[in-house]
Amino acid sequence: MASVTLNVNGKSVTRGVDARTLLVEFLREHMRLTGTHVGCDTTQCGCCTVHVNGEAMKSCTLLAVAVDGATITTIEGLAKGQDLHPMQAAFREHHGLQCGFCTPGMIMSAVDMVRRKGTDLDDKTIREELEGNICRCTGYHNIVKAIHYGAEAMGKTGTAAE
Amino acid sequence: MAMTMTGEVALSASRETVWVKLNDPAVLKACIPGCETLDKTSDTGFSAVVKLKIGPVSATFKGSVELSDLDPPNGYRISGQGEGGVAGFAKGGATVRLLPPAEGNDGCILSYDVEANVGGKIAQLGARLIDGVAKKTADQFFNNFAEAVKAG
Amino acid sequence: MSGTGIGARVLRKEDFRFITGKGQFTDDVNRYGQAHAVFLRSPHAHAEILGIKLDAARAMPGVIDIFTGDDLAADKIGGLICGWMIHSKDGTPMKAGAHPALAQGKVRYVGDHVAVIIAETQAQARDAMERIVVDYKVLKPGVSMADAVKSGAPVLHEVAPDNTVYNWALGDEAATQAAFAKAAHVTKLDLVNNRLVPNPMEPRAAVGDWDSGQDAFTLYTTSQNPHVARLVLSAFIGIAPEHKLRVIAPDVGGGFGSKIFIYAEETVCVWAAKKIGRPVKWVADRTEAFLSDAHGRDHVTHAEMALDASGKILGLRVKTQANLGAYLSTFSSSVPTYLYAPLLSGQYDIPAIYVEVDGLYTNTAPVDAYRGAGRPEATFVIERMVEVAAREVKQDPAEFRRRNFVRQFPHQTPVIMCYDAGDYDAALTKALEMSDYKNIGARKAESAKKGLLRGIGFSAYIEACGIAPSAAVGSLGAGVGLWESAEVRVNPVGTVEILTGSHSHGQGHETTFAQLVSERLGISIDNVSIVHGDTDKVQMGMGTYGSRSGAVGMSAISKALDKIEAKAKKVAGFVLEASPDDIEFKDGKFSVRGTDKEIDFASVALQAYIAHKFNGQELEPGLKESAFWDPTNFTFPAGVHICELEIDPATGVTRIDRWTAVDDFGNVINPMIVEGQVHGGIAQGVGQALLEGAVYDSSGQLVTASYMDYSMPRAGDLPSYDVGMTQTACPSNPLGIKGCGEAGAIAAPPAVMNAITDAIGHEGIAMPATPLALWRAIQKTAPRAAAE
Repeated sequence: MASVTLNVNGKSVTRGVDARTLLVEFLREHMRLTGTHVGCDTTQCGCCTVHVNGEAMKSCTLLAVAVDGATITTIEGLAKGQDLHPMQAAFREHHGLQCGFCTPGMIMSAVDMVRRKGTDLDDKTIREELEGNICRCTGYHNIVKAIHYGAEAMGKTGTAAE
Repeated sequence: MAMTMTGEVALSASRETVWVKLNDPAVLKACIPGCETLDKTSDTGFSAVVKLKIGPVSATFKGSVELSDLDPPNGYRISGQGEGGVAGFAKGGATVRLLPPAEGNDGCILSYDVEANVGGKIAQLGARLIDGVAKKTADQFFNNFAEAVKAG
Repeated sequence: MSGTGIGARVLRKEDFRFITGKGQFTDDVNRYGQAHAVFLRSPHAHAEILGIKLDAARAMPGVIDIFTGDDLAADKIGGLICGWMIHSKDGTPMKAGAHPALAQGKVRYVGDHVAVIIAETQAQARDAMERIVVDYKVLKPGVSMADAVKSGAPVLHEVAPDNTVYNWALGDEAATQAAFAKAAHVTKLDLVNNRLVPNPMEPRAAVGDWDSGQDAFTLYTTSQNPHVARLVLSAFIGIAPEHKLRVIAPDVGGGFGSKIFIYAEETVCVWAAKKIGRPVKWVADRTEAFLSDAHGRDHVTHAEMALDASGKILGLRVKTQANLGAYLSTFSSSVPTYLYAPLLSGQYDIPAIYVEVDGLYTNTAPVDAYRGAGRPEATFVIERMVEVAAREVKQDPAEFRRRNFVRQFPHQTPVIMCYDAGDYDAALTKALEMSDYKNIGARKAESAKKGLLRGIGFSAYIEACGIAPSAAVGSLGAGVGLWESAEVRVNPVGTVEILTGSHSHGQGHETTFAQLVSERLGISIDNVSIVHGDTDKVQMGMGTYGSRSGAVGMSAISKALDKIEAKAKKVAGFVLEASPDDIEFKDGKFSVRGTDKEIDFASVALQAYIAHKFNGQELEPGLKESAFWDPTNFTFPAGVHICELEIDPATGVTRIDRWTAVDDFGNVINPMIVEGQVHGGIAQGVGQALLEGAVYDSSGQLVTASYMDYSMPRAGDLPSYDVGMTQTACPSNPLGIKGCGEAGAIAAPPAVMNAITDAIGHEGIAMPATPLALWRAIQKTAPRAAAE
C-alpha cells in the first residue's frame, strides 16, 4: 500500500492505495469521480484526459503514486456550479457530442489546447492537436467547430488566462 | 503469428567443443535471454522458465525444451514451447548446424534457422514488435553463446 | 408551437450531464458488496480443452470463485442464440453450432471464453487468472474463408462439416441469365468488403445483481435493446423468468450495432451474482473489445452487370462469401442475406437480379451487424459496379446513374423491396451543384500541377430502414417482431413522461422525442422527460438499430399521443360543457369550435386527474395511454454523396478535399442532430475505406487488437462535410420519417473508392486504401489517362 495525496478539483485528499493504482482508478474508484472514462488501455483514445498541475495528461497510464502531491482537475471540476466553462458550453452549443463518452476527455484536451496554442485556433491546428483523442460518433466536424468557438469564448471571458 | 529468421556466427572453438557446450544446461541457461531456470527432465528434455518482455507485455513463460535430431558434432534441433498465462503462448524451434570454418580459420561456424510462433496478448498488443524482439532475442542468445565458447 | 417542435434546431437536453461528467454509464454503476469478474480467453484460434487446473488460482488472494462451462451446464444455462433462421436454397435450415457462454470442450477463436474468475478486485481477479493452467490440444484453424471451405479443412462445428452455415440465394436466376444473354456489355468486378471492429468508445460492461429476498435479478448492461436482452436471457438462456429479471441499459457510450447482441459476459455476470450471492461487475478492456465484440462486414464478392448498348442496366449477378466467424451471433445470419441482397438494386431500375450468398464459419470472432449491416456491403457492390460500368462504356458516372434511376413510385425491385417514395434526380442534381462538379476538370489540372492525383467519386445509395414490419420479417425468418412501443404519461400538472422501447446511445432521443411531444401538445420540451433503457419502467420494446427509432419508435409515440389527444378532448368536453366532437386542439389549447371557450393542456390534465367534471361511468380518470406501432413497410432513405480527394503519388497519402452529402431522410425532427448523424456515419465509412481493417494472421491471432494497430479515424484524417438535404415524405409512417443513422456509413466507402480509382486510373485497389496499399497500386499500373 502507498499513501497518495492529491488536490482534486480544489479539495485535498489522501488515500492509502495499492501501489499499482492508476490515476484514473484513483479518481473513479476511490473518489467516485466517474466523469473521467477509460476507453482503451494503450493511451490512444484520450477518454481519460485530466489536468495534472494544469497540463492535460492521460490518467490511464499514470500511476497515482507518480503524481503524489499534484493538483488535478477533472471534468467535474471545470464548471463553476451551474455556470459551464466556455468550452463545455461550446460543445453543447455546436453539438460536439453524441454518446458523450469521449466528451470529458475531449473538453479537457481542448482547454489545454487553448492554454498552449491560444484562443484563435484554425481548423487545421485543432485537427492536428486532437491526434490523441478519438471520437467514434461525431466524425469530428462539430467537435472542431466547438473547440474553435470555445477557444474564442475563453478569450473573451478571460477564462484562457486562468 | 509466426516469424522466421536465419543467421550464422563464427565461433573460436572446434565443433566438438561447441557441441559439448550446446548440450550443457548450465551454458544454455546462461545464454537464453531471460532464462530463470532450466532443469533437465530427461536425456534430451528440460523444463524451463523464461521471462520475456515484448512491447507493453511482460510475461513469464513456463514450458519445456526438447533436443532432437542429435547428430554430434554436426548439429541438432532445439525446440520449445511455453505458456505465458494471460500473456499467451510462445513456441518455436531452431535447427542448429555446426559447420567447418572458412578456409584458413580456426573454430567453426554455427548456423541457425529459427521459427517462432506466438499467440494471445503478445500477438494482440505486441504484433508489430515481435519480429524485432524475436530477432534481438536470437541474436542475444547466439552472441552470449559465442562469448561462452570464447570463455572456454 | 413553443419553438421546440418538429424541425427546430434544438440543443440537446442530455448534453448537460455529459459535458459535466455526470453521465451514468455501466462502468459508473457500483453496487454495494460487488465483486469483479475477468474472463480467461483462449489464446488459440482452434483447440480442444483437455483439462483446466484451477487450484492454484483459487488459492490466490481475494478470489471468491471461478467458473467454467461445466458449471453453466450443471445449472442448465443455455447457450447464446441466433434469432434469425435462414434457409439454404435447397430448403435446409441453416447449420447453427452450439454457442456456450463459457467453452465446453473446445475453443473456436482467439478470445473465446474459457473461464470466469471472480475476486474482490479486478486486479486480484487478473492475478489469479495468471495461475490457471489450461491443457489445450491445438487444432489446425480455418482462419480465412478460403481456408475454411478447402477440402479437408478443420471443422468448427460438427453440424456443419463443410463449415458452411447456408448457401442462400435470392432473385430470379433464369431471368438474370436471359438478361446477360442479350447484353451489349458486361462489367465484372471482384470486391472485398473489409472486416471491421465497431469500436464504440465505451467498451462493453455488465453488472449482475441478485436479490435473495425476491429471488430476482438485475442486470446493468451496455445494450442497445435491454428488452431483447431480457427476452433472450429469460426465454432462451434460462437465467430467470422475465418478471424476475430487470435489465437496465443506462447511458451507453455508442453502439453501432455491436451492443445489440446478447453476449457471454453479461450472461455469466448475472448468473454468477446468484452463485456467489454478491453483485458481479465486468468491464472490458479495449483489447477484449477487439477480440470479443462482434465484428462487421467481411465479404468477398464477385459481381457482374449486364448493360445494353445505351448503357441501360439489364441485369445484375452477385456471388458473395460472408464470414460469420466462429459462432452465429444474435442476428448475424440475417446481415449478409435479408439485410444485404434486397438492397442490391440500389437506386436503379434493374429488371433482373440474382444473388447467391454462402455464410461461412471461420476461427475468428463472430461477425454481426455493424452500422448499416448488410446495406453498406450492398451499396459498395452496386455503387462500385455502376461507377466501373460507366467508365467502361465511357459515360459520365453521374449521367450514367441518372439514366438508370428509378423514377416511378412505388417501385417493386426484383429483390423483395418495394420503394415507396423518393426523388433520386433531385438529390443528384443538388449534389452536383454543391460539389461544383462542372469544374472538376480544372481542379484536377490544378492538382496535377502540384504533382497530385485528384479523383472524384459518387455514391448514390439507398437503404432500407425503419426496421421493420413484423409479419414481413417473420416470413423471412426473424424470430421476433420489430414493432416499437410507447407510453405517454401526462402528470396532473401537465408535464409529460414518455416511456419508449427505443434506446438512445448517442442519438439524442431525449431531445427529438421531446420535440415531437412539444409539437403535438404545445408544451415546452423542458416539460417532457424521456424514459428508456429500463425493463422495469418500460414494459416492452425492441430497441435501437437499423435507423428505426424515428420511423418506428416515434411513430409509436405519435400513436399514443393520438390517444392522449382523443381522451383529453373528452375531458375538455366535460369541462367546457360541449361534445368532444366540437372540441378543437391547437397550440396547446382545447376550444369549442365557433366559440371563445377554451382551456389549456395543463388544466385539462389536472381535470383528468381530479375527475370532478365527469363520473366514472362516463369516463375513466387519468391521462395515460400506450401504443404499439408496427410499420407497414421499410423506409427508404436515399441520397448522393460525392467524395473529392487528392493522392500524393510519392507517398500514397490521401487527403479528402471535399465531401458533399445530399440525403433524403423524409421529414426531419431536428436538423442539427440529423446532420451530426450524417457526419458520424461518413467518418465510419471513410475509416473503412482508408484506414480500418481487422487482420487475423494465418494462425488465427488477431494482430489488430489495440489502437496501436487498428487505425481509428482521427480528426486529422477527416474533412469537414458539406451536408444538404432533399425531402420526400415517407408514406409508411405518420411522421413521414425515413431514418438517418446509418446513411453516412453506407454511402461513404464506395464514394471514397470511386474517387481513388478515378485518381489512380485503375480498379486495382482494395479497402482499406492505406498509403502503402495505394503507393503500391500507383506503382503497379500506369494511370488510365496516360494509357489512353
